[in-house]
Amino acid sequence: MNEARFLNRFLQVAWPSALLVGGWAVWVRANGYTDLVAPMPQSVAADVLTHPGAYLGPVLTTTWTALAGLVAGMLLGGLLAVAVWSSRLLTAVLTPAAVLMRSVPVVAIVPVMIGLFGTGRPAVVAITVVVTFFPAFSLVASGLRAPSASTRDVFTVLGASKPATLTRLLIPYAVPNALVAVRIAAPSTILSAMLAEFLIGKSGLGFMFVDSVSYSHYARAWGTGVVATALAVASFVAATRLERRTLERVS
Amino acid sequence: MTGARRFGTGVLGVGVLLGVLELVGRTGAAGDTWPPLSSVLSYGAGEPGRVILARATRATVAEAATGLLAGVLAGVAAAGLGLVVPWLRAGMSQLAVLLSTVPLIALGPVLVTTVGNERTPPVIAALGAGFAVFVAMSSAFSAPRTSLDDVFEVLGASRASTLARLRAPAAVPAFFDGLALAAPAALLGAVVGEWFGAPRGIGVLLVSSMQNFAVVQLWAAALCVSLVSLAAYGTLTGVRRASVRRFT
Amino acid sequence: MSGAVVDNGRPSRGTDAGHAAVELRGVVKEFPLSRRREPLRALDGVDLTIAHGEFVALLGPSGCGKSTVLRMIAGLEAPTAGSVEVAGGAPAALIERHRLGVAFQDAALLPWATAWDNVALPFRLAGRPVPEERVRALLETVGLEGFARARPKQLSGGMRQRISIARAMALEPDVLLLDEPFGALDAVTRRRLNLELGAVWARLRTTTVLVTHDVAEAVQLADRVVVMTGRPGALAHVEPVSAPRPRGEDFTRGHAFHEVVDRLVALLDDPSDGRR
Repeated sequence: MNEARFLNRFLQVAWPSALLVGGWAVWVRANGYTDLVAPMPQSVAADVLTHPGAYLGPVLTTTWTALAGLVAGMLLGGLLAVAVWSSRLLTAVLTPAAVLMRSVPVVAIVPVMIGLFGTGRPAVVAITVVVTFFPAFSLVASGLRAPSASTRDVFTVLGASKPATLTRLLIPYAVPNALVAVRIAAPSTILSAMLAEFLIGKSGLGFMFVDSVSYSHYARAWGTGVVATALAVASFVAATRLERRTLERVS
Repeated sequence: MTGARRFGTGVLGVGVLLGVLELVGRTGAAGDTWPPLSSVLSYGAGEPGRVILARATRATVAEAATGLLAGVLAGVAAAGLGLVVPWLRAGMSQLAVLLSTVPLIALGPVLVTTVGNERTPPVIAALGAGFAVFVAMSSAFSAPRTSLDDVFEVLGASRASTLARLRAPAAVPAFFDGLALAAPAALLGAVVGEWFGAPRGIGVLLVSSMQNFAVVQLWAAALCVSLVSLAAYGTLTGVRRASVRRFT
Repeated sequence: MSGAVVDNGRPSRGTDAGHAAVELRGVVKEFPLSRRREPLRALDGVDLTIAHGEFVALLGPSGCGKSTVLRMIAGLEAPTAGSVEVAGGAPAALIERHRLGVAFQDAALLPWATAWDNVALPFRLAGRPVPEERVRALLETVGLEGFARARPKQLSGGMRQRISIARAMALEPDVLLLDEPFGALDAVTRRRLNLELGAVWARLRTTTVLVTHDVAEAVQLADRVVVMTGRPGALAHVEPVSAPRPRGEDFTRGHAFHEVVDRLVALLDDPSDGRR
């Protein structure tokens, strides 16, 4: 009985991955692709499992890049949100700028970032910052407006200064929203770090992908994709955990 | 603050932003990959530029629209399936996260070999749009029970009619919420999809301008897709606001 | 200190001679509805003088503008016409010196802070060191000395409201403003809290403005009950309540209490009201 329930629970959670991998195998087999077009799941798994050392370095590089971009993007987005809260003129200038930045495709930003930061790691980090900062900006900005009208009235009547209102009321209220922003941004930060490495990088998972394709090492190229997906999912799960744990503590 | 004054501040803000863009380009403060805004605009308005941009934009918008439609249908269907068959729900959101985290650069070559380079942009657009709609709809469907649900149960409503008469109308604002995010996502997806050998479109233009160091053309193309995406987002946010007034 | 009261909105002067604690003269408040329509007139010429150490209840149906009066005394709204003076100056001046206290119907506590931290908040906002002994005494006053480390969501609605009241009294304000502080509580809790508030107030005698739609609450607590009618809001009647303090249950059970309550209920029950 207990085992049946456990199996049911396992299937409930595992069917999407099984569906994806199974579909992949069926599709390769049905079209009769060779390893040069599309490798089978088992040969990709074999490459990942037998050469963990080859993947570890790029995974760490991409993770660190993405983490740096995430932290810097969150800080930048949060600071801009506070700036928008503090001044009407800044609101008018920064809001369209932020919205415009969000809708510019990453590939168009790349040349500008190269112009500003060169072709090294700073440019890659800068690109991930651009991807991260918009969710942080818009969610923190809406979090700063979250406290109820009566709570804000209490602060007004008690004669709270603007900085005191910000640090004692608004920023704590914006914390849950900032965590939502982390959850939204975490996977896309990993992916955009990889994209930037793909376009201009000299290391990391994105570069590993280009490198493997150029040597026609397709099992490794696909392995890079699988590992990157796993990394992005892991970052999403970690961000969700962080959010839940912090919310338990603060609200 | 009155409406007129807010509008005035908004115009002023956009003006300052445009001025900064122009000034950085003119002085060359950000290097030679940042052209003055005026030369980007005059390229877009001038003879070869206008035609090239219009053709590319039309192609990208068409792909994005196809992808948006497919993605919205798939997203709503998946969220609805999760509602009707609760067993699937836990896995369904995992599938959505998985699909949204597969790196596009790895996915692009696969799609080119399977659906062809012409159909790759709409497929990637559909993935992005479908994820946004699915997330919005499934969180709307899984909203906590209210006393209205109890009313329906006491009145003996069937599962199907509860879905049609309560859950679906209540989810309309969330649908437009998702749609407002899905439209820009579809546009970006189409642009990325075009890198992998599509015959025309903004993505093609971006890549070729980057390779030929045609900086002004690059900026003009990026500006084009940004403006389309902004217009779509703005329109859908307006529709969403109207739907919130009607359905809540 | 005096709670003595003369009829018709004109109290005798308090011990702090010179100026009244709160003075509203010809106050009009209009809210713009939309560009085309006429603005909504919420208050139409309100005159009210409150003496130092006086407890005034603003009583009326919802939408009569009583909360608007309180929000103007609190400096949260500005009158369209007329003047509002608190302690002889603009409310903003009093706010700047941290001399106002306020409690609303929803307790408006910081959800991440403990009861102790919520009560200590006014000291921190005023940039003063937090006197631990005083915060503890405040929690004791509202009967929550055992709950200093509890967070709002771990407490009942009545307890949250007690914290809110303690926070309002923390800085020993010149004027205490209470906007239906017990409006969201059940009748039993509400009655008990009113008795306790009355007992605390009898010791402190802080100038207080209470907004309520509960007639018994107003009569039990106030030196003067100001009855308002709605649309547009105006003062309809002023009822002095001269019973001595502290007013215990013997007062609320008494004949005089019920007579006043019945009279005010009848006054509020004007059938022409609310039709427009």
